[in-house]
Amino acid sequence: MDLVQLQRQLVDYRTSLYHEGFLDEQFTQLQELQDENNPDFVVEVVSLFFQDSERLLNELSKALEQQIIDFKRMDAHVHQLKGSSSSIGAQRVQKLCIVFRNYCEARNVEGCLKCLQQVKHEYALVKTKLESMFQLEQQISNAGGSIPV
Amino acid sequence: MAEKSFETTSQVCCSTGSESLPILASPMESPLRKVLSRISGFVPSWGKKTAPPGRRIFHRDVEQDEFQNGTAHCLSSYYSVFVARLAIMVMLAILIGLLTVLTWHFTRVYTTKSLNTLAYGLRYELLQRPILRMWNILNSTSEITTAQVKLSEYVIRRYSKPTNQAEQIELYQMMKDITWALFASRKALNAITINYRNGFVQAFHRDHRSNNTFYIYSDLANYSISDTGSYDNKSQSSRQGWNDQFIHGNVSAIWYRQPLDPLTGEKIGKSSQIPPEDLINIAGPSQVPDGVASWHVAVSKYTDSPLLSAALPVWDASNKSIVAVVGVTTALYSVGQLMKELVEVHSGYIYLTSQEGYLLATSTNTPLLNNTAKGPKLMMAANSEDRVIRMGAQWLQKTYGNKFPPGHVVHVEKANLGGQHYYIDSFFLNLKRLPIVGVIIIPRKYIMGKVEERALKTLVILISASVCILAIGCVCILILTNGVSKEMKLRAELISHLDARRRAEASSNYKSQFLANMSHELRTPMAAVIGLLDILICDDCLTNEQYAMVTQIRKCSTALLRLLNNILDLSKVESGKLVLEEAEFDLGRELEGLVDMFSVQCINHNVETVLDLSDDIPKVVRGDSARVVQVFANLISNSIKFTTSGHIILRGWCENPNVSSDSGKFSPDQKKPMSALKTKLKHGNHMKKVSKKDNKMILWFEVDDTGCGIDPSKWESVFESFEQADPSTTRTHGGTGLGLCIVRTLVNKMGGEIKVVKKNGQGTLMRLFLLLSTPADGLEQQRQIDFAKHSVAVILALHGSMGRLIMSKWLSKNGVPTLEASEWNELTQILRELFHARTTNSGFDTHYSLAKPLRSKVQTLQDMKKLVYIIVVDLGLLDLSTEIWKEQLNFLDKFSGQVKFAWMLNHDTSNAIKMELRKKGHILMVNKPLYKAKMLHILEAVIKESYVEPQNRSPNGTKGTSKQGDSHECLEIDSTQFETCSSDDSDISEMTGANSVSSVGIREQLKEGTILKSGPPTLRNCLVEFTRLGLEVNNLRTEEDQCNGRPKFHDTKDVKCENPNSSEQPLVRSNVKDRDNSYTTNKAASEQKSLEGLRLLLAEDTPVLQRVATIMLEKMGAVVVAVGDGAQAVEALNCELDGDENRTNRLQTEICDSPPYDLILMDCQMPMMDGYEATKAIRKSEERTGWHVPIVALTAHAMSSDKEKCLKVGMDAYLTKPIDYKLMVSTILSLTKRSTKG
Repeated sequence: MDLVQLQRQLVDYRTSLYHEGFLDEQFTQLQELQDENNPDFVVEVVSLFFQDSERLLNELSKALEQQIIDFKRMDAHVHQLKGSSSSIGAQRVQKLCIVFRNYCEARNVEGCLKCLQQVKHEYALVKTKLESMFQLEQQISNAGGSIPV
Repeated sequence: MAEKSFETTSQVCCSTGSESLPILASPMESPLRKVLSRISGFVPSWGKKTAPPGRRIFHRDVEQDEFQNGTAHCLSSYYSVFVARLAIMVMLAILIGLLTVLTWHFTRVYTTKSLNTLAYGLRYELLQRPILRMWNILNSTSEITTAQVKLSEYVIRRYSKPTNQAEQIELYQMMKDITWALFASRKALNAITINYRNGFVQAFHRDHRSNNTFYIYSDLANYSISDTGSYDNKSQSSRQGWNDQFIHGNVSAIWYRQPLDPLTGEKIGKSSQIPPEDLINIAGPSQVPDGVASWHVAVSKYTDSPLLSAALPVWDASNKSIVAVVGVTTALYSVGQLMKELVEVHSGYIYLTSQEGYLLATSTNTPLLNNTAKGPKLMMAANSEDRVIRMGAQWLQKTYGNKFPPGHVVHVEKANLGGQHYYIDSFFLNLKRLPIVGVIIIPRKYIMGKVEERALKTLVILISASVCILAIGCVCILILTNGVSKEMKLRAELISHLDARRRAEASSNYKSQFLANMSHELRTPMAAVIGLLDILICDDCLTNEQYAMVTQIRKCSTALLRLLNNILDLSKVESGKLVLEEAEFDLGRELEGLVDMFSVQCINHNVETVLDLSDDIPKVVRGDSARVVQVFANLISNSIKFTTSGHIILRGWCENPNVSSDSGKFSPDQKKPMSALKTKLKHGNHMKKVSKKDNKMILWFEVDDTGCGIDPSKWESVFESFEQADPSTTRTHGGTGLGLCIVRTLVNKMGGEIKVVKKNGQGTLMRLFLLLSTPADGLEQQRQIDFAKHSVAVILALHGSMGRLIMSKWLSKNGVPTLEASEWNELTQILRELFHARTTNSGFDTHYSLAKPLRSKVQTLQDMKKLVYIIVVDLGLLDLSTEIWKEQLNFLDKFSGQVKFAWMLNHDTSNAIKMELRKKGHILMVNKPLYKAKMLHILEAVIKESYVEPQNRSPNGTKGTSKQGDSHECLEIDSTQFETCSSDDSDISEMTGANSVSSVGIREQLKEGTILKSGPPTLRNCLVEFTRLGLEVNNLRTEEDQCNGRPKFHDTKDVKCENPNSSEQPLVRSNVKDRDNSYTTNKAASEQKSLEGLRLLLAEDTPVLQRVATIMLEKMGAVVVAVGDGAQAVEALNCELDGDENRTNRLQTEICDSPPYDLILMDCQMPMMDGYEATKAIRKSEERTGWHVPIVALTAHAMSSDKEKCLKVGMDAYLTKPIDYKLMVSTILSLTKRSTKG
């Protein structure tokens, strides 16, 4: 594929991510932090995020299956998820986390379950989006082109 | 009793209270419940009625509650109170009734009993006395009889054998004397008879009725003495013949009666023969058949009462035969007499009967004897003529018949005799031969009548008393329960209020939570808008006009964001938690910016916005700039809302005697503020004192508009929350009515006051003063250029009359001659006048059109030589609707050699016009409105240019020199821009230097663009003490100003070097956030490492965040050690403390006794040990060493309460997630600088 076309595609794709609210300026900041010292910084952080989030989501699912639900613990988990998602700029996940925390505080099991599903969904979405973006970047760098900022 | 009943009432009341107030303390509930259930047992329907609402209230729904509380609560409490009252009253009634009955009963029973015993005694006594009398009578009778017998025996024995008549007579005489003696000794005796064996009878008789005494004897002739001898012999045989019949039938015997003197016994009359029927009872031998004494009751014709007669035989000496029979008769009359006497005293009836029922004596006067043909006979009691006695006897007869109880003793308490009640008592006196029964009948009325009457009265009194008590008790209960129920109601209300308050507090808590969330949500899109605008501004393909517009949008967005923050701050203002910051700021410039902003709005309204600040207002004051601006923004926007035409003037002057005397010369309407000052002097007096001491100043401001005005009655209330002068304004003008309320709160907070002041003419005049301090060094005034020296003159050709007037006055004060023109024609006249006259020396043709004062002014100007004329032309003067404006421009162009033009542009001035102007060489262009600072700048520019001109002037001046271009750009952008190129800029930037923490506030940050360009790497050294919102605002402001600064920077670059650096270009286009980054990449590597040499400890559990923050900080040159939780952080710190050597090896430059880390970034929410705990632990361990490692909190909570919590545990600053790069750096720098300094 044409390199220029690929680059344009990447830019478009990234813009669409911003437009659709998957990412916010925090992600941009993240990208800015990437330089020759840390060439794979964004990928590294994002994969950290994936690991962390998956762990947290598993914990949350488990916690919600319990007979007696430890809302305090869940709240702490959601808080963490919120923190990490806001750090990489996955703002849709972050917003859901805010709602999720409210449900936790209200000890609303149904709301929590609903929210967990939504968070999972959003997380999966953002994950695929980011992964495909990284794929594109990979393609570009494989093709020898520079990644447009 | 009363106490008792009250006790019960109070108990009942309590229980009812608990029923109607189930929210009352629950532990009290159970005992009360019991009482209640008992009561409700009495009144089952009530319990059923009230219980359901109680339960409902317990398990109520929060939402339902409000609705139902009103009706159900009221109803149930009404019922319960009513029923409780009823129950109490009934109980009271029962109690009192019982007590009454008991009291009455007992008193009556006891009285009756004692009375009965008394009455019994009385009756007994009463009856006993006549019986005793009877007994006496009997006794005396028997005694007499016995005495008579003994005497007779003695006498007869003496004359036992009378041999002859004489002896016989002597014997009889002797007997007569003896008998008389005895008879006379006893007055009560009726008669004494001696019946001899031979039939001779001697008798004494007393007739009580006639009070005569008689001696009765039989004829002696018929009796032979011999007879007596045979009498002895035949005593046994002839006993039959010796009887009454014999006596009475002894016809042969002649009876004589001889009256006697009752006292002496002497014969007082002749004895007369009496018929036998007149004889008295003479006891014969028949009465003593067995020779013993006998008793019987007899009647005689001489007395109407029965007689008691006793008979005793007189035995002869051998005691073998009876020689005579002695009979003694006593009247029972005296017994009756006694009875009568008794009855007279005691009332009632007494009678005595024989055992057979014959009446012997009664207490009445009725006759006791029946007068039959055969003479008087004894009468039965049942036949008595006295009604009561008869009925009593009949009653006894009927009740007992012949079977009397033993001893005939009867006590009957209530015998009904002829409709009346009587006591009947009978006693039995068992005399030998003559048993007697006594009966006493006493009317019950007599004894018990009073008692019963009294008892009745007592009963009536008792009942009435108890009814009274009951009534009073009921009233008392009513009052008491009323009070109690009222209290209960109040308490219920209180409780419900408390409940409501708690809920309200909770909801306000939710609200603030909501606001905290919303603040994030709202600010994010705003930040995006601003960011996008910044990108747009950075784009250099914008035309200047577009650029200006975008800048305007940028400003408005910033204002909107500020507004948002202010709205979020409102709760803080309202609750009084607002803390004003204390920072230096340029008051004039803030207000100018404000007027600029509002003038855009006003132009559409045809309203002129004028800023009129007196020169004595200090340039820099200390205070909360954001709040001050908010005050005026609210006031002005309020004025704009209600002003459709005319002007809005913001006036300001300073009340400070030393300054106002020399420089307070300028004010548009000097009298008014001065007079106002005087009126306020009292008010401001104490303020003045304060102000002198603290270097504080009272700054007076007025916002004067020509709107619809406020009704004087509303002058106070407009400052209340949600209050508007006219309710209809919401419809026409919108708004919430909060603006002025916030204003007043803020003004009061700043030690000032605001009120509406009376105004001449239309509109509203709000006057306020603020107490602001000036910086210690701050009284030296801004430089004043002596314009008079430069000999400039200004022609103000402006539309707005107010602004023009004020400006011209100010200019004249400063020694600049001015001319005014309000329209095009006037301007041309002035120009012609000025210059044609000068060139041709004859301006007569136009003279007529100028008014006299103007002309004189013009002439004085003409007289002055070498003046530099500046014409400030409002673009609105030109006829822009047609093409005429070009001709007008050409006309003006003719004068361009002699005058300088400064154009006042509208915001919507079209690009074509600007281009045209520029083409013509008019480079001084200023946006409306015109105020002092702009004017000053125009003057300065002209003066400078006039110096430069001779050397370097090109006819087509578009960007002729970089300087000119620069200034022209500046002017066109806005007021904030010329600050950058104004002369004092450099000093400030120098002064700012490396650390501007304390001395310079927000303003300095405006210049960061320039600072960054030239100076050392100082990033924003914000005061950490700034409130978060303040930081936000400041931050945005810096961004804004940076953006404004940027294009200039690029412009100059563009001008200087045609090909911009290829690496720079994309960076400039990138997001706002990376500007610092881009700057730093532009600069040398050494400059970007602002955190070089700092050792930071990062405690963060989220790996993502940890990584991001680490990279961020490392990029700035810091050494970062990251740990996963609070415990590790504490450990890391302690390790470093212990491992001194290690540390010194690594950081040789550091002094040994300084802390291992320069700063700690601490996440608040972490597993194991959270940030608060960790901080506490660190602070505790630090006590040993005396160090103070700055700790910065990182939290995702955006609430100020979290901030307080952080600071409380010993943290030094506070950052919110996601981490703002710049803010973090500035915070770190300020903290590390301070700590190393300290």
